[in-house]
Amino acid sequence: MRLYNKIFIFFILLSGGVIFNACDDRLDLEPLYAQDADSYFNTPEDYNRALIGAYDLMQTSYLNLWIGEIASDNAIAGGESVNDTQGLHEIESMTHNAVNNELRSVFQFNYAGVTRTNYLFINQDNIDFAGKEVLFGEAHFLRAYYYFQLVKYFGDVPLIIDRFLGADEVNTIGRTPAAEVYAQIESDLLQASESLEWTVSVEGRVTKGAALALLGRVYLYQDKFQEASEVLERVIMEGPYSLITTTTSEEYADLFSVNQEGNSESVFEIQYSGQEGGSYDCIVCLEGFAAVGFQGIRQYDGPVYGDGNSYNLPTADLYNAFDAADIRQDGTVLNLDEFISEQPNPDEISYAIGGGGHTGFYNNKYIKRLDELGLPDTDLTSPVNYRLIRLPDVYLMAAEAFNRKAGPEDAKALGYLNDVRERVGMPTLNLAGAQLTEAIWNERRLELSGEGFRFWDLVRTGRAAEEIDGFVAGRHELFPIPQIEIDLAGGNWDQNPNY
Amino acid sequence: MKHILTLAVILLFSFVSFAQDRTVSGTVTDENNSPMPGVNIIIKGTSDGTTTDIDGNYKVNVGQESVLRFSFIGYSTVEYPVNSRSVLDVQLEPNFESLSEVVVVGYGSTTKKELTGAVVKVDGSKIEERNVPRIDQALQGQLAGVKISTNSGAPGGSSNISIRGVSTNGNNSPLIVVDGIIYEADGLNALNPNDVESINVLKDGTAGIYGVRAANGVIIIETKKGKKNTKPSLNFSGYYGVQRTAKKLDLLNATEYAILKNEAFVAGNQTPPFNNTNLGEGTDWQDLVFRDAPIQNYNLSVSGGTDKTTYNVGGSYFGQEGIVGGEKAFFERYNARVNFTTEILPKLKLTNVLLYTNEYSKTIPQGGIGSVLYNATNAYPTEPLRTDGRYSYLINVADIINPVAQLENTYNDTRVNKLVGKQELTYDITDKLSANARIGYTYSLVDFKQFNPLVWYGNGKNQNSAINENLDPRTTLIGEQVGGVLLERGASVTESRTTYLDYLFEGFVNYETQIGSLHNIKSTVGLSLNETSFQSLSGTAFNIPNNSLDLADISTNQAVSGYLNQVSSGQNVDRLNSLFLRGEYDYGKKYLFSGIIRRDGSTRFGSNNRFGYFGSLSGAWVLSDESFFNVDAIDFAKLRVSHGWSGNDRIQPYVYRANLGGEAQYVFDNTIVNGVAIGIAPNPSLQWESTQQSNIGLDLSLFNSIDIGANYFIKTTQNLLIQAQASAILGTYGPGSAPPFVNAGTVQNRGVELDFNYEFRPTDDFSLNVNYNFTYLQNEVTELPAGTDFLPGVGFGVGGNTATRFEAGFPVGYFIGFETDGIWQTAEEIASSPVVQPEAQPGDLKFVDQNGDGVISFGDNSDRTMLGSPNPDFIMGLNLNARFKGFDLTANITSVIGNEIIRNYERQQPYANQLAYNINRWTGEGSTNEYPRLTTGRTRNNEFSDFYVEDGSFVRVRNIQVGYNLPSNICERMNMTSMRIYIGSLNPFTLTKYMGYDPDISSANPLARGVDYGQYPQAKSLMGGFNIKF
Repeated sequence: MRLYNKIFIFFILLSGGVIFNACDDRLDLEPLYAQDADSYFNTPEDYNRALIGAYDLMQTSYLNLWIGEIASDNAIAGGESVNDTQGLHEIESMTHNAVNNELRSVFQFNYAGVTRTNYLFINQDNIDFAGKEVLFGEAHFLRAYYYFQLVKYFGDVPLIIDRFLGADEVNTIGRTPAAEVYAQIESDLLQASESLEWTVSVEGRVTKGAALALLGRVYLYQDKFQEASEVLERVIMEGPYSLITTTTSEEYADLFSVNQEGNSESVFEIQYSGQEGGSYDCIVCLEGFAAVGFQGIRQYDGPVYGDGNSYNLPTADLYNAFDAADIRQDGTVLNLDEFISEQPNPDEISYAIGGGGHTGFYNNKYIKRLDELGLPDTDLTSPVNYRLIRLPDVYLMAAEAFNRKAGPEDAKALGYLNDVRERVGMPTLNLAGAQLTEAIWNERRLELSGEGFRFWDLVRTGRAAEEIDGFVAGRHELFPIPQIEIDLAGGNWDQNPNY
Repeated sequence: MKHILTLAVILLFSFVSFAQDRTVSGTVTDENNSPMPGVNIIIKGTSDGTTTDIDGNYKVNVGQESVLRFSFIGYSTVEYPVNSRSVLDVQLEPNFESLSEVVVVGYGSTTKKELTGAVVKVDGSKIEERNVPRIDQALQGQLAGVKISTNSGAPGGSSNISIRGVSTNGNNSPLIVVDGIIYEADGLNALNPNDVESINVLKDGTAGIYGVRAANGVIIIETKKGKKNTKPSLNFSGYYGVQRTAKKLDLLNATEYAILKNEAFVAGNQTPPFNNTNLGEGTDWQDLVFRDAPIQNYNLSVSGGTDKTTYNVGGSYFGQEGIVGGEKAFFERYNARVNFTTEILPKLKLTNVLLYTNEYSKTIPQGGIGSVLYNATNAYPTEPLRTDGRYSYLINVADIINPVAQLENTYNDTRVNKLVGKQELTYDITDKLSANARIGYTYSLVDFKQFNPLVWYGNGKNQNSAINENLDPRTTLIGEQVGGVLLERGASVTESRTTYLDYLFEGFVNYETQIGSLHNIKSTVGLSLNETSFQSLSGTAFNIPNNSLDLADISTNQAVSGYLNQVSSGQNVDRLNSLFLRGEYDYGKKYLFSGIIRRDGSTRFGSNNRFGYFGSLSGAWVLSDESFFNVDAIDFAKLRVSHGWSGNDRIQPYVYRANLGGEAQYVFDNTIVNGVAIGIAPNPSLQWESTQQSNIGLDLSLFNSIDIGANYFIKTTQNLLIQAQASAILGTYGPGSAPPFVNAGTVQNRGVELDFNYEFRPTDDFSLNVNYNFTYLQNEVTELPAGTDFLPGVGFGVGGNTATRFEAGFPVGYFIGFETDGIWQTAEEIASSPVVQPEAQPGDLKFVDQNGDGVISFGDNSDRTMLGSPNPDFIMGLNLNARFKGFDLTANITSVIGNEIIRNYERQQPYANQLAYNINRWTGEGSTNEYPRLTTGRTRNNEFSDFYVEDGSFVRVRNIQVGYNLPSNICERMNMTSMRIYIGSLNPFTLTKYMGYDPDISSANPLARGVDYGQYPQAKSLMGGFNIKF
């Protein structure tokens, strides 16, 4: 090898090595046009945008609506077949256990909501700005809402507050007793109610009334009647709300329409929009209310209603629970064949029966209507808001609280009950004590069925075993912790009793 | 090394010369000077001749001008003019052609004889003869250990390539290197199979020279180059064919449908829908969507060279329409290619490769609910194609629309302009030392356009974009707080452009020396810098005038103030830095050793885990060169052993750090507002998926005509890059959020591979080549992260439970569901059964109580069991080439044995059409123990069970071709060097028990590989073609 060749090789190797070492720096790339999660929260708008992320999980309320009805005596699961969203069919028949996709979703979604609110609280002290207190008031409400869902379904759940859980902590964290979780929920809601205003300029944001009403509900679920009566009465007395009188079934049902969103009975609604299309591949990504389209009439071709997936079908038991004179009967439950027979050309109207079950009844509060379609796929993109807290509910909760608290104030309780009845043209009652309690409970079913509250009402008042077929006392009050969540948390959690 | 067809001749001249008809005699010996009996000796141009006797002697009568031809199997044929000789002794050299074949191993090449790794090679001619549009399709059944299955049979559809099994729940694609340039598997559409010189597949640990991207094997494709000192040769070839579906599903006709539906409705306590069931055949929806479709391909190339340059320049056209959708499922490709090498200075060579591709494709909805075929198979036969002059609505079924109307309303096209190039300088500094520097680059523009007209498929159909039959557009009210604007949302157009730019800079030095006469040393050292990047911009505009395709462009939109029109963009850059070193040593070409080290740095990982070291050690022992080795039948025997470490970094970029990539949308003031949320949870310690592979192999050459390559391997992939399920309390299950990617889990693949090749060429007029390959593969997930029992795969039916899983102790993507044990025949049988099956009725499937608790539990997994696996036990390929005089015959047969397929294209709706097996349904006690009753009521028969699992084994003739080479005198008269014409057929026969369209299905999702969603089937075709050389 001649000398210059050796020099050449040496040079190539040397320059190669030099280039290469210098070039390791070229691997230090930053993601393009992306915000880094660790250095976020620098402007007020940053906080607002993170809060929107925390609100987002409220839109998973379709599960809440379904499970609250299907688990109770109000509805069956329905759908295309018994395998169509199988978890709901198991809940319907009270055969559900620790492997259940829908229950797992509830667990996952609500913890995702908790984590998104904690993201705000972790960064609470970065900057100060006008409106920060209100913004964090909303965050307190959201965290309380998500934990209330969790404690309601699963009882003791790990309480993670103002921090992110490290992946390595998962195995060491236990289930926090429900009482402590409730204490945190109450604390969050009290803070929210102090920070928030009765009215907001932006439709959809949390208000003081929403926080107090939810707090009242939380107290009621713990049988804290005195506290409940106080906060609920504040909502009624101080809040900018008033009951709406309706005289026909159509008018009553219309309270749940897009047109009536934010009406004077509305204390808090989970907001939905029909302006974004949707896909079955990601239900949690939807901006529309999935429950409405899913509860639509299967392959229905006719006036008023759109076609849907025949989910969450009311039972005859519910339909017959109404007094025939009660406009809420047909306002709440669509008696399909009767409705069709009343149309001008009934023979031209058709629908199909799903393999998942058929009762002849449909949920008339949340159902796909032709004048409320979102963008395709319209089964997924209903613009109809979910009425999380309605004033009649607040009245009935207040009535129950005053009736059941130590030192009952039945007169007040009866007044609230009759206010609700009168506004739908039902005769007033004159009861007291346990009879009044029964009447309030019954009224809750008549006023609130189809909205996802029935199962929880039955459980918290101890009536579930007598009303729900297959309900085993001591077992079904709580849903099982999804087995996979127990496993993923290191297997240290005890399952709920008798699962 | 250059012992290709070397020849030694001993000539003894005789001074005696005869005039005519005399005798010439002699002895024929082999390379060891032993006499060879039975050697064929023919006087050229005649049929006269003789054979050698037991001592290798011969004697033959010849004329003055005669030429003698000596031939023997496995030895090179030689010819000698007799001239004036009377004694002609000949020594024949064994034909070790295959052993001296050059094999490309990455940054260098070696010969098959010296190879220490498990590398297999296919010649370009074997690719070309397949007549398929994509190189991966042409590799089907060619090589042991390389499984190619089809994701879609549509024109331009892709394949799933797996080398030595599926090794991860993530990306299983091998690395593809074309002339040194990195390709992605989805970019294979750009390559013309006719441009391929050879394909080399690195299967074992020696692929580690490509380090972090080698874990799934490496496919090295070399394109055709010119040869030095050859005259220009012009090659023109082409074919034209007609394709047709190989199969139609056996569905119910109108009469059968009506009878069965009546029965099902009655069983479901509903009114039977048909008063008259005598409805004839009805509409055959499959007939309406399947059609004959053309396929064609033309290639023109010129190649040649001088003593300083070589060139190979060509162009090609390929066009294919679909058997479903015709010109709406279309793929077309124009290719231009230049391979040019020149010595710009003495010893300094410049290699240029330039490949330009223009692709134009259109697709139709395929593979699942909403696809044209799914609609055609589930549409009911009692509905005519048209009603009242418009396409009928199929109103009785949800989610299923008129497939013909659907095709008509499908408008999209994708145009790809792609330039791939390489400039490489090779400097032969000395005989022993050479240096290479090259830059490779890929620039491609992908333009996509889709027109969504206002359509109405009938009431309640999700695909409707209009609100009624009059095609009135939907309207949306926005900004109602500020007065409000009512917006139409009419026909829309989406356009997007994505620009890809990749570059690769590589420099490496090869050094080769011999110490003494026996010690050979080779080494390669180099570096590689790689960047891949893309930018994309897309927009959707609404309200296209007149709902018209002619005006379908973003520029024409009539939307008020552009509301609702949407734009988005995306971009990313990834880089890879690599250093590599390979050292090889052999002792007398008998004992060979090779070692590889590679260091990679990838931007896919955080700075703490960015760099990884990979490599391999391999060795080979040429047994047949040992003096003690004395087996006459075995010409060559080599034992190979290798062990290697390689990696896989194919995950989304920047998942190691926390990004605000989550979806955060809510509605305020009736308007969707956007916020932020953490996306995929970060994992700063994320690192390579790592594969360790051991291989032991044997190469044999027998009887000078048979080559065998055998391998046994164990490949273990650890630290899989998976998104394992995470505890919900970490909060990672919001929209757009996801659990972190983690390194967890282990998959093992073990297998045996056999490549067998037999050459038989008894005379000049006849030759036969038989190539057979065999793969046995065992695939198992051996470990999952703690707390994770399994990773769920895909669901069965609509909203049904997970049917496939990634679970320790089972193959990747195995099927889990209920095992059946016939049909419940009577109510008494159900009542008296020790096993309680909730809701069971006579005629229902009888499920097996796996956990023995006396109850079939639908609500948990206790009675679900393994029902099958998408992984075959055996894969085989048989490739035949025979030639007799001017005629030739080619046949390629592939076979996949022992896998199962989930039949997941039947829609369980009351009015959906059904497969004809339902005619054999249970109708009463003893009617059948196989097919359940039909009902529209509640039934558990639709639970995922082995009733929906079928044997997916098949044997398929992929290609059969008969050709004729025109005699050379005719060619000469036409000024051609050669001309071959042929007729052929692709996929003419398939032997399978599988009921669906095509058992050769797959998916890019490792857990959906065995699930048939009514995939677009591969066509069978009949074609004619030609190949002319000037």
